[in-house]
Amino acid sequence: MTQTVTSTDDLVVEGLTVSYGGVRAVRSVDLTVPAGKAVGIIGANGAGKTSTLRAVMGLVPRSATTMRWGSLDLTKVPARDMVRHGVGYVPEGRHVFSGLTVEKNLLLGAYSRPWKAETKQALGEVYELFGVLGEMRGRLAGALSGGQQQMLAIGRALMCRPRLLLLDEPSMGLSPKLVGEILAVLQRLSAEGLSLLLVEQNAKLTFEATSSCLVVENGEVAMVGASEELRHDPNVRRIYLGL
Amino acid sequence: MRYSRFGVLALLVVAAIVLPYAVGRYTIHVIDVTIIFAILAIGMGLAMGISGQINLAQIAFFGLGSYVTAILTVQEGWGFWTASVLAILATVAVGLLVSTPALRVQSHYLGIVTLGLALAFTNWLTNTELTGGAEGISGIPVPSLPGADLSSEYLYYYLEILAFAVLLTFGQFVVRTPLGRRLRAMRDDPLAAGAMGAEVPMLRMTAFALSSVYGGLAGVLYAGLIRYVAPETFSIANMFLLLAMVIIGGRQSLVGCVVGAVGLSLVREWLVDYPTYAQIAYGSVVVLTVLFAPTGLAGLPERIRGVYRRRRPASASRAVLRPFQPYDDAGERAAAAAPALEVDGISKNFRGLTALDEVTLSVPTGEIRGIVGPNGSGKTTLFNVISGFYKPTGGDVRIDGRTLTGASSYRLAQAGVARTFQNLRLFPAMTVRENVLVALDRTRTRSIWRYAVWQPGVWLHDRALRREADAILERFGLADFAGALPPALPYGIQRRVEIARAMARSPRLLLLDEPAAGLNGDEVRQLGEIVRSIRDSGVTVVLIEHNMGLVMSLCEHVTVLAGGRIIADGTPGEVATAPQVIEAYLGDSMDDVLPAEKEVRS
Amino acid sequence: MQVFVQTLVGGISLGAIYALVAMGFSLVYRTMGLVNFAHGNVVMIGAYLASTFYLSVRLPFALAMIVAIAVTGLIGVIIERVLRPLENKDFDLMLIGTIGFGIVLDALAILIWGATGRAVPSPVRSAPLDLLGIRVRTYDLVVLAVAAAATVLLVLFLQRTKRGAAMQAVAMDHEAATAVGIHVGRSNAIAFVIGAGLAALAGGLVGPLLYVSPSMGGALGIKGFAGAILGGFGSIPGAIVGGIAIGVLDSFAAGHFQGYSELVTFIVFAVLITVRPTGIFGEKTVNRA
Repeated sequence: MTQTVTSTDDLVVEGLTVSYGGVRAVRSVDLTVPAGKAVGIIGANGAGKTSTLRAVMGLVPRSATTMRWGSLDLTKVPARDMVRHGVGYVPEGRHVFSGLTVEKNLLLGAYSRPWKAETKQALGEVYELFGVLGEMRGRLAGALSGGQQQMLAIGRALMCRPRLLLLDEPSMGLSPKLVGEILAVLQRLSAEGLSLLLVEQNAKLTFEATSSCLVVENGEVAMVGASEELRHDPNVRRIYLGL
Repeated sequence: MRYSRFGVLALLVVAAIVLPYAVGRYTIHVIDVTIIFAILAIGMGLAMGISGQINLAQIAFFGLGSYVTAILTVQEGWGFWTASVLAILATVAVGLLVSTPALRVQSHYLGIVTLGLALAFTNWLTNTELTGGAEGISGIPVPSLPGADLSSEYLYYYLEILAFAVLLTFGQFVVRTPLGRRLRAMRDDPLAAGAMGAEVPMLRMTAFALSSVYGGLAGVLYAGLIRYVAPETFSIANMFLLLAMVIIGGRQSLVGCVVGAVGLSLVREWLVDYPTYAQIAYGSVVVLTVLFAPTGLAGLPERIRGVYRRRRPASASRAVLRPFQPYDDAGERAAAAAPALEVDGISKNFRGLTALDEVTLSVPTGEIRGIVGPNGSGKTTLFNVISGFYKPTGGDVRIDGRTLTGASSYRLAQAGVARTFQNLRLFPAMTVRENVLVALDRTRTRSIWRYAVWQPGVWLHDRALRREADAILERFGLADFAGALPPALPYGIQRRVEIARAMARSPRLLLLDEPAAGLNGDEVRQLGEIVRSIRDSGVTVVLIEHNMGLVMSLCEHVTVLAGGRIIADGTPGEVATAPQVIEAYLGDSMDDVLPAEKEVRS
Repeated sequence: MQVFVQTLVGGISLGAIYALVAMGFSLVYRTMGLVNFAHGNVVMIGAYLASTFYLSVRLPFALAMIVAIAVTGLIGVIIERVLRPLENKDFDLMLIGTIGFGIVLDALAILIWGATGRAVPSPVRSAPLDLLGIRVRTYDLVVLAVAAAATVLLVLFLQRTKRGAAMQAVAMDHEAATAVGIHVGRSNAIAFVIGAGLAALAGGLVGPLLYVSPSMGGALGIKGFAGAILGGFGSIPGAIVGGIAIGVLDSFAAGHFQGYSELVTFIVFAVLITVRPTGIFGEKTVNRA
């Protein structure tokens, strides 16, 4: 991306709690994404990773002692306004608009801005980042493969030039080769100054894409630290595989 | 409590008997018509509130009952009672016919088909000679009853009130017995109902049959009362009035439907000079009810009680989850000939996405098998194929050696497969006991005929089921919660209720979908004990889980899925150390993770 | 043979009206998952409003229709706003809510315009044309032209505009739509208003063809609904094909069965639906899971 979207805002969350249907999916989680840094949240399934991300985005009811993005109090921002404030979201399971073309999907990513020259430029940048999307711009999103849809979902979130990108399990269901490509994209975005909050089950990918990580277990933060150190910690494997 | 209930009932009965003496001719006429609408409302309540079927043809059933009676008596010279029997039979036949789309389509399609019937019916009435066209048919003979002149509206009232009492009692009888529970389960969650042995398409037809019986009967009574039938009584406007009665009164309670019928009839009478204003009134109340009081007037007492309970901190209820009482050990059994579950080359494609790719596995009888894998690996899809929710694109499923590929969840439930669901699918508007009762009921749908002919048999069956249900609740420590509604219960207890419900099926194969999700350490431990005991009683258990600690300690054999394929299959120890498994989960190979350990060893 | 073609042609103009009604149904169903039972009543209100502005206020026919559409659009806004708390949560209750609104609209119409109907003279006063031996009323051609124009406009809106794309996106995945900044409630409101507008257009056009009365909403609503389902509920091309099919079916039934025509139409429809419930083009709607 040629345009600098360097983030200067920190994402600070303290005491985040999410419950639905009587279950405490997230129990008092603290996390921070310093400006321009990439932070990962890993853990086994059902641990509460996705709920945490959805709570930050405002898609589920949540309560928190603090939840701010720079000076903006996120608890007061409805989900549909997040993109206007510079927060992009890539949902778990892609969720592309399957009946619309690739290009339409991307254009909708810029929905909250008037569709003019800036959008055209952003579109060009996304096509440059993901060559294959440019080739398939007229195809229906539903006809794309899983990996292509993942790229489309990320591209769609980038259309509004976000300063913070929330990603939910982008590697899910993808082959190792595609996972490598996603990793390369994430590293490039990070290098350009975009803040990342990455939720993943794939610990290896996360350690390589982020500078620090939280390991979540049963809705609580079990471990937190620098990715470089966590990647050699045998406790991580115990949390995942129970042995 | 019971005495005051009886007291109120006795008072109502006395009032009902005495009523005609206290009112004038006009009022008794209004009352007679109101009772007929109350009967219609009960019929609608049975279809809409109890069974969840949108039935907008009730007014047509009403019309059919009236018109067939009229035509047979006036034009063919039949006696009133003989004609009425045929009228009811004809109405039910049409009711069943109208519901045949119900075998294949869902609620709003039924709504349009039924509304279409109502409109077509009125149109037909107005245009045919047989029905006297817009003029209708007059001169219906007075129904003959030895010793009573039923042309008197006072005496007719007693006939009606008797019919009403019988019909309301029968309706309540249906609701509180196995058939009613199955209908309500179907209303709450048709998918889960199927998995618990309820044959949904047949039940939908039953709902319509019941509704049409009430409609036909109301029609017969109407013909005998007014002795003149014309198309405008059976108009769409009246259909919507009837619908308003049921919604405002509370469609899930038959008494509520009656209250709605009586209430709206009173309003209509009060505003008889301003019928259009009355219509605006009850149309608006329908909208308000839907927004603010979805359970209608009948649901208000419960809601008020709920608010009251929330204000006063929970002091009274000391309901406690008791410990689980293990099953009796089935002891050593000769190895069964066929494995409990065989999945043979199962593939499942969803519009280009391959969720399962030639999955083959075999679970011997009496094993506890764990199925694990990262997110999106196809575990729940596999379960859904095995339990009949999805039809596989290829491959076979065999239960105890019987090939049951592509069978519906209802048939699989009959074959001894029971399951729980990842997102909990308890019937939210039914008590814990009723949830278990639905699953306990193993009768086939065709035994419904007993309701028409031999009610005591149904009653005895119901009593037997209740005894069994109490035993199961006792075993699972849920006795204190028997009368509670699932949404009000803590999550861990709901999970246990779901397992109890599945075990109520006396299954041979139990599928548990993420049973430990959301449970704390203690609850997970209890879950493990329960599952072991279930297996010891002779049931084969297959579970999907993410809680690896539980899987490792509980399962004798673990199958690992990733990307729709099996990547490992062996004991927990083998599987947890297999490099391809570690890679699938952590995206890593052994080397990267354990350099420190390696150093120590050397 | 000539009778056959005449009946066919006669059914097409009413079929075009049914198609407009069906499009309104399908649009709302596809974007909101809602079956709007007040749709037929809105058609009726549209018919009354258009005829009032045309006959009493003496506006030119086209202008009368535009005013009628504007007012009914407002009714659509009100209904959607009131029922919004139920959106995406309880579809059955929402359906019943629309029935409630339908009941109120029906009574309002009787209050304002009385229970007896009115005949609306055709705005195009010229003798029927003779095309290859088939009698075609000029007004029928007007109806076809207007319906076709409306269809083209709707399709252009959905395919070419930002809001149209947003509406389709909401229908496909309302959470992802929220994530890109689309206001789902507002989008649904627009869909609902367009649906109401189509209903009003159909109502205004049908005035000179049928007798305008409070009960016309029921018949038109049902036929439009049947057309939408026949073509595949939620599909716009399906609505067009289905609506015209019902119109033609109706025309043939009326020709052969007179008084029983509605019954016959209904039976044929019921049979078709049982054989293929999702209709010709297949059902398209929001995820109700």
